[in-house]
Amino acid sequence: MSVDYLLHESSVGYAVFKVVMQADSIGNRLKEVQDKTQDLAHFGKMVQLVSFAPFQGASQALENANEVSEGIASEYLRTVLETNLPKASKKNKITLGVSDRNLAGSIKAAFPSVECETGETSEVVADLLRGLRLHAGKLLKQLQEGDVERAQLGLGHAYSRSKVKFSVQKNDNHII
Amino acid sequence: GAGGARGGQKTVVEPHRHPGVFVARGKEDLLVTKNLTPGESVYGEKRLTVETTPANNAGAVNGEVAPATKTEYRVWNPFRSKLAAGILGGMEDIHMKPGSKVLYLGAASGTSVSHVADIVGPTGTVFAVEFSHRSGRDLINMATHRTNVIPIIEDARHPLKYRMLVSMVDCIFADVAQPDQARIVGLNAHLFLKVGGGVVVSIKANCIDSTAAPEAVFAREVVKLREERIKPKEQLTLEPFERDHAMVVGVYQRTAA
Repeated sequence: MSVDYLLHESSVGYAVFKVVMQADSIGNRLKEVQDKTQDLAHFGKMVQLVSFAPFQGASQALENANEVSEGIASEYLRTVLETNLPKASKKNKITLGVSDRNLAGSIKAAFPSVECETGETSEVVADLLRGLRLHAGKLLKQLQEGDVERAQLGLGHAYSRSKVKFSVQKNDNHII
Repeated sequence: GAGGARGGQKTVVEPHRHPGVFVARGKEDLLVTKNLTPGESVYGEKRLTVETTPANNAGAVNGEVAPATKTEYRVWNPFRSKLAAGILGGMEDIHMKPGSKVLYLGAASGTSVSHVADIVGPTGTVFAVEFSHRSGRDLINMATHRTNVIPIIEDARHPLKYRMLVSMVDCIFADVAQPDQARIVGLNAHLFLKVGGGVVVSIKANCIDSTAAPEAVFAREVVKLREERIKPKEQLTLEPFERDHAMVVGVYQRTAA
């Protein structure tokens, strides 16, 4: 099964990539094939950025991070996919590579003509998504050096603070 | 505190074999890391400041002698940190150095994490994952002072939940003390660990199987790591600092052997 597009979710935003060239699943574990994913010069020819949709601020990033971690396709993500994936018909389906099978389910529910492959169902997709994570800073051309790290730091704190049930200010709530 | 380690001139700090780790030679030798936030202790550990006076004339510009620079180090207690115990036990490769990206599973309150943050320095990053909310709160507080630590309060069993917060990393350190620890490490490695990246796992035999002999437990865990495409390179026990603990170090390989 071949994959046509890839979805990359990161702390800075969503990105849709088109797969130009992919390894076949039989040779995927060969050293030569694996080395190509490592090398940006080569990997940059395997995928092509269709669109990068950055988050507009910290609150939107947190909202999306929460929904992505629960496997829900947020409204923003649906808009991004709607505008960037070509219109597919029942006969001519397109396949999107996604990391998480829950998110894949939500996407399929919203876009019946889109088929999803996850890292679990296809090792080729898993490797392509690993490549995107490795080279994201370079492939998303609007970004400056250090943007991803700064966004991760802000989002990490926001996400974790919202998760912790105890007050971060160290005041335990006593039950009287 | 009024500890004997605050030696000043008497203590000499030398770099350890592992870049980013240092040894303070005084009355007794201590493992130390260079404090990323001078003037602050994270968990009440001792600090020591070393003055480096420039060589007599080398630092003199226009007759003025350059001021001595002070560097502050924090003492790293091997009885409190398994990584420190492993380093003193003679680990060949810790797979982290200045500039490294480290995924730290089982970060707890962040005491050991703070030393890893010292090692990787301002150009590195530590992604610190902890599931317990109570320790997580301390972890978040520690991370507010150290901007190279990204706190992640989430279950390490479900790495996809925090995939938006993590980059590809050079090393995974795991101290999760769970029976399915090898699987947890594998799941994280498949998503986030670079090919050829290091895996450092602390194994507490009791947490995996309290009825079997520790050596048998360690051997089984190594087999499980192999199945996760992690090639084991070395294994050592953490005696005398911890009982029935082993440190296993491996390298992640994605290609078929």
